[in-house]
Amino acid sequence: MKTETLSGDPLREDDEGTPSWWNGRWRRQVDWCTVWFCIMGGLLVGITVLALANIATTELADPAHLLKVAASSQVIESILLTFGAGASAVLLLILFGTPLAYVLARSRPSRFKGVVESIVDIPLILPHTVAGLLVYLLFMRRGWLGAPLSEIGLAFEDALPGTIIAMLFVASPFYVNTMREGFEKVPVHLENVARTLGAGTFTAFRTVTLPLSLRHMYSGALLAWGRAIGEFAGVIMIAYYPFIISTLIYYSFTTDGIHTSRSIAFTVILASLAVFYLLRRMTRYLGRYDDRV
Amino acid sequence: MIEFDRVSLALGSFSLNDVSLTISKGDYYFIVGPSGAGKTVLLEAIAGLHRPDSGRVLLRGTEITALPPEKRKVALVYQDYSLFPNMQVIDNVSYGLRMQGMGKKEARAEVAPLLERFGIAHLADRYPGTLSGGEQQRVALARAIAVKPDILLLDEPLSALDPVTQEKFIDDLRRLHREDGLTIVQVSHSRREAHLLATRMAVIIDGASWTRGRPVSC
Repeated sequence: MKTETLSGDPLREDDEGTPSWWNGRWRRQVDWCTVWFCIMGGLLVGITVLALANIATTELADPAHLLKVAASSQVIESILLTFGAGASAVLLLILFGTPLAYVLARSRPSRFKGVVESIVDIPLILPHTVAGLLVYLLFMRRGWLGAPLSEIGLAFEDALPGTIIAMLFVASPFYVNTMREGFEKVPVHLENVARTLGAGTFTAFRTVTLPLSLRHMYSGALLAWGRAIGEFAGVIMIAYYPFIISTLIYYSFTTDGIHTSRSIAFTVILASLAVFYLLRRMTRYLGRYDDRV
Repeated sequence: MIEFDRVSLALGSFSLNDVSLTISKGDYYFIVGPSGAGKTVLLEAIAGLHRPDSGRVLLRGTEITALPPEKRKVALVYQDYSLFPNMQVIDNVSYGLRMQGMGKKEARAEVAPLLERFGIAHLADRYPGTLSGGEQQRVALARAIAVKPDILLLDEPLSALDPVTQEKFIDDLRRLHREDGLTIVQVSHSRREAHLLATRMAVIIDGASWTRGRPVSC
């Protein structure tokens, strides 16, 4: 009986010049499709990473200046104002956008529904300056809504309500569309059963549909908030003042130059990263049952 | 008990055309028909989930055509059981009692004997996503019975079960009908189930063409 003996260096190269480890387990396990997808996706992520690395390298080279800018009351107040205005816009979206998303999710396809869905998406397709102009024309002192509201003391031009309403306008499709997808995932049978067990329409919504859509609500709110705090052109059309962070960076860029505006931008990046990281981590505690629907 | 008087209803691709039927107290009423015939729509119309385009629905002689489902005292069990995934088994079963205004503790205590009866007491703290098909189906049935409905509506409740569980469930249904005197309306593909359980049956094809009568053994 002939026996073969395995011997020699396992990392030796074979006849064609490739290492033996490559011809073995690794070669069998590599999925080239996934590898190429990773490379292509990596290029996209790489642009963001490079941009962040670029600004970080420059800013961290002069930490004294960065700290001075980051700790200035103007920057801190502006960041808080931006985050607060964004949160107010999101709260309004939750209040008014949730019922709209539910109706869109539950209504049967029709021409009217298609029109409403298109209207909801309008802020997505408009240039931001156009969105801002629309908000301005409606809410300016002589505007259709601005005029009567200013009579009861609610002014929008160069005022915080103007900032909030502009943010709400541009962020609304992100919340409404995400929430609608969440409601669509909840089978209508669950609501039907709740109704036959004695729940009214709103009680069925509150006790069954809404708890099963919480993760979508949270994701939609997060997306909308991110969109709102990043808005610039839409906001300055109606409310150049008070300075949200985008306006402050632009103002600083045009008056003080790149040095200070870059430091403000880097501060905002760090603050946004920290806040979004924390908020994203919270999603794991929400909507545990969404996937079981 | 409940009467459909020339009811017509269009709902997307499904419709009911001029349907008349009378379900008496204590009936085990089977509605059989092919897929897409409108059986589930009919069941949902009995529950009040769809308002007819024309015709009348009467309950004990009183018109209830516009009465919402929460006021009809009918309970519905779907083919997929439709348990609330965000609630434990005990809260699923006591949901109807809570909707009647009972407190959470009180409602949980009230349904405890029902959980024992259906052999699901040990599952009380579990969530529906962790239950087998047979367990889910017993929970769904217990939830429907908990509100003491006048009529129990069953939408093909046996179709997703294995043969052994089907036999057990048929026994449960027979007991509910005979011992509890519950009025049951069940839609099904299966003539065998109808022969085993029904006291009266009807055939529906394309939302109409009704044939009514008593089941005859083959």
